[in-house]
Amino acid sequence: MYIIVAGAGKVGHFLAQRLLEDRHTVVVIEKNKDVCQKLAQTLNLIIVNGDACEPRFLEEAHIERADVIAAVTGEDEDNLVICQLAKEKFGIRRTVARANDPANEHTFNELGVDVPIDATKIIAKIIEEEVSFTDFVNLMSFKRGKLAIVRVDLNDDSPAVHKNLNELVLPPDSVLVSIIRKDEVVVPKGNTTLEPGDDIIALTLVENEQQLLRALIGDLK
Amino acid sequence: MYVVIVGCGRVGAQVATLLSDEGHNVVVVDKKPEAFHKLGASFNGLTIVGNGFELDVLRQSGIERADAFCSLTNGDNTNIMASQVAKKIFKVKRVIARVYDSARAHIYETLGLEVLSGTVLFASMIRDKLMDKRLSSFLIETGDLGVIELEVDEKMAGKVVSDITLPNEFLVCTIVKKSDQHGRDIIMPLPDTHIDKGDRIYGIVRIGSIDKVKKMFGADQA
Repeated sequence: MYIIVAGAGKVGHFLAQRLLEDRHTVVVIEKNKDVCQKLAQTLNLIIVNGDACEPRFLEEAHIERADVIAAVTGEDEDNLVICQLAKEKFGIRRTVARANDPANEHTFNELGVDVPIDATKIIAKIIEEEVSFTDFVNLMSFKRGKLAIVRVDLNDDSPAVHKNLNELVLPPDSVLVSIIRKDEVVVPKGNTTLEPGDDIIALTLVENEQQLLRALIGDLK
Repeated sequence: MYVVIVGCGRVGAQVATLLSDEGHNVVVVDKKPEAFHKLGASFNGLTIVGNGFELDVLRQSGIERADAFCSLTNGDNTNIMASQVAKKIFKVKRVIARVYDSARAHIYETLGLEVLSGTVLFASMIRDKLMDKRLSSFLIETGDLGVIELEVDEKMAGKVVSDITLPNEFLVCTIVKKSDQHGRDIIMPLPDTHIDKGDRIYGIVRIGSIDKVKKMFGADQA
């Protein structure tokens, strides 16, 4: 794929490196000349020294060939404008933007960014998961926050324990994706029996999340 | 009207003070509290410290009941983002964004945002002052049309307005009569209105037809 990365800070640099390793064609656009020079010394790719918010630098990066653009500068308003220009002026189908401030993820969604990524929230989620003793963690949301992958940990008094999956009444548009039992991954089938200590990974519409939790672990405290 | 203004720089503060003096309810948002020192002593609206595209800050500014919104910071992208938030998320009816970069201004204009580019406006004002001081090409935003001022000489005297109208090229809007003794007499002309020597004519002209119109009035030698 032909991928444009706008912004070569820590995130942009690392992202470009990963994409190169996966044999994509990567062009980086970066405002700061020193940063460009440093990047040129470490990675073998095309670098455009300019402000990606200006259409002429996007043209210089041959945006007409690009499949995806990732706007990962440290300024949210710049990331939004880069994605909007790519989409509206140059017809790029897939735009990814980093939201530095978690508050802007929703705004990005509303204003047409295909994939807003809130790094702060993702890191906080992972940390939360590692330190938390709760039975339920939202691992990831997508489709503009309508759909989520969640992890639910069953314990002895969960209502779903010792039941076969086909006995469970799950809300519509919720699917159990896998069961992690000790270190094994069990693919759920109708005759699978749930056990205490199982971690269930489920895909659900966010509006049905509470119903799903009630079916698996009872009312939340 | 209830107006929310983002950015209290020189322009923002001036707009805020003007509107406040006219009796409108004005709320000004700026990241820096010291920016509000620029507001005139007569300003009696509200000030809020915060980022002008943050939803919570905007809610606090009362944007949900605002009639109008303008983003006038010195950051093009901030203005673009804030005004889209106002328009698309909070559904404010009248939204204006200040955008310096003419390329971006043009793109966002075609995407339906109301954009004012000081750079473009000022450049065309200066062009007019230098080249044709009787033409204002900046009054009409498309850039295809201008407002022109012409003086009627002997050659044109006695004609009627329909004689000098060039369909789709030149339209007479106003005639300022010289003959009137009490000062100026301003006429909204009809097709059969006569023009006399010394009258001044204001008309809308297509930029491509300026030379043709000037030639008709003998103003091309100047």
